[in-house]
Amino acid sequence: MITLVASAAALPTGAQTTKDAADSAASAARPAGATTSAGSANAVYAERFSNVCAACHGANGRSDMAGTPVLAGQHSLYAITQLFLLREGRRNNEAMVAMAKPMTDADLRGFSEFIGTLPPVPAPAPAAAPDEARMSKGQALAQQHKCVFCHGAALDGGQGVPRIGGQKEDYVRAALHGYKTGDRPGYTRAMSEALSQVPVEDLNLLAYYVANFTGK
Amino acid sequence: MHQSRWLSTFFAALPLLCAATASFAAEEPTPGWAKDRPKTETAMKLAPVPAFPIPTAAEDLPTKKFKLPPGFKVETWASGVLDARDLRQGDKGNIFVSTLFVGNKVYVLPEKAVDGKRVPKVIIDKTPYPTGIEFYKGSLFFATNKKIVRYDNVEDKLDNLGEPTAVLTDKLPGGDDHSWKYLRVHDNKLYYNIGAPCNICDPGEYAKIYRMNLDGSGNETIAAGVRNTVGFDFDPKTNDLWFTNNGRDWFSEELPNDTLNHVKQPGKEHYGFPFCHQGDIPDPEFGWGKSCDDYTKPVAFTGPHAGTLGLKFYTGKMFPAKYQGAMFIARHGPWNRTKKYADVMVAIPDGKGGAKLEPFMTGFVENNGYLGRPVDFLVMKDGSLLVSDDHAGAIYRISYAGT
Repeated sequence: MITLVASAAALPTGAQTTKDAADSAASAARPAGATTSAGSANAVYAERFSNVCAACHGANGRSDMAGTPVLAGQHSLYAITQLFLLREGRRNNEAMVAMAKPMTDADLRGFSEFIGTLPPVPAPAPAAAPDEARMSKGQALAQQHKCVFCHGAALDGGQGVPRIGGQKEDYVRAALHGYKTGDRPGYTRAMSEALSQVPVEDLNLLAYYVANFTGK
Repeated sequence: MHQSRWLSTFFAALPLLCAATASFAAEEPTPGWAKDRPKTETAMKLAPVPAFPIPTAAEDLPTKKFKLPPGFKVETWASGVLDARDLRQGDKGNIFVSTLFVGNKVYVLPEKAVDGKRVPKVIIDKTPYPTGIEFYKGSLFFATNKKIVRYDNVEDKLDNLGEPTAVLTDKLPGGDDHSWKYLRVHDNKLYYNIGAPCNICDPGEYAKIYRMNLDGSGNETIAAGVRNTVGFDFDPKTNDLWFTNNGRDWFSEELPNDTLNHVKQPGKEHYGFPFCHQGDIPDPEFGWGKSCDDYTKPVAFTGPHAGTLGLKFYTGKMFPAKYQGAMFIARHGPWNRTKKYADVMVAIPDGKGGAKLEPFMTGFVENNGYLGRPVDFLVMKDGSLLVSDDHAGAIYRISYAGT
């Protein structure tokens, strides 16, 4: 017979539910020492952003260059995970892999923290109003496939989950197909897992919907 | 705030081992870790905690915040080791360090600092689930979720490992949930785990500890009903295997416990999964018609959702007599429990098959968030103890100088 011994003192005490679970989850994900850089670092990376990134991504984080994602309103944790995947060469984007390769850890942190300060910039008004039938079908698909489960009802994401409402359609379409085929690895497996249940014929409509999503 | 999900399950990739499991899994659309997660908003927001993609800067490490028993000292042994998981040492002094979700790498670090620093050198890269490592007689054994290979004379070719000397097996099931490996060599056998491919399911040939000969032949089961062990070691006095085991999720905030277990009859014991948890709680789904009395009970509880990982018997001489022959156990800390905790515990065998647990190294948690998360250990030749931290990307050294 094996003796069962457990030191009560060594075990955690009862759950404390004073904090909201979402807050605690967010704080659990907080990296130690990730918030040491302050205004000075931000000024340095604001300038480097305008010299290095703005040509394609736009000075305010939104440009009209095809296939180039909107960075305005993006979250710093999401941004740093993507810069990390690019620096590691895991994401299949030659131009950005080349840009990220020489970046130091401090660069990754500085650029992503600066990106996190860029306020959202709405898409320019389209020439014609979005197709209502496609928008309402897209909305139904976003519910059905639980996009809002992580990205939120406002499609604004948070922490490691990107803002997708108002993101460019061609970029979202490429990202969704990339996650679906495995060409684009995520920092977590969340997107490839989520899309494993989504038929490929729904992806373009989802991209159309989120790109034209204005929160109304 | 929204939490990204961390793990997921690709049941389609599950192989060979058990057709029954595969067909069970095909009917289950949620990722394995989310099975049986309550539909309450609070529970839905709890998901595995992703590590930051950059190691904590040396000056920001929590080293000064750690608390240890009197006479012990902790220092930062290495920083900038992204996603540091398992620790092993070569005959020539090299320290091998594996990674898991973030790193996709295995590093080697020098035993002695060079210009006051130890810079990790990548020897294996771009390899998912590169977690299982062991060093034995000049060879590095390396296990991913898909295969186990061996690099002979590894310390002579650290600049370029080249192809493995031998592939011990390429028939591991792969997948995501609990698919990474922990390795030990003992008496010329390689021990490894195949964790359950889910939170809770009929595991078939999963959820076992196996061993094989060092050339990959002679595979056999050592322990069954083990949901997932990410830490085991052999008692140097008795040669018995002891292992940590991660309990099921979503049962409740406080139950069941992770456990510490002692193998007395290799190959003959079943530790309960998925029928019985922590030796005395029948599973609400799989426990019907089963009795906890039919399974081997754990030696001790190590806390609910603790993420109890590395286990190492202390074989050094530096620490006081109380610690000689005791086990160090890393509690990585929960992701699906509201109140976080993480620490290093010491388990002192009582000589009657049991063990008494007490805290050893604390201070990993602040404001219910992780400053660091301990994973694995290495006893150095001088008797000091290395502790890896995958959250902060660091390795700490604990020494004893007396009071």
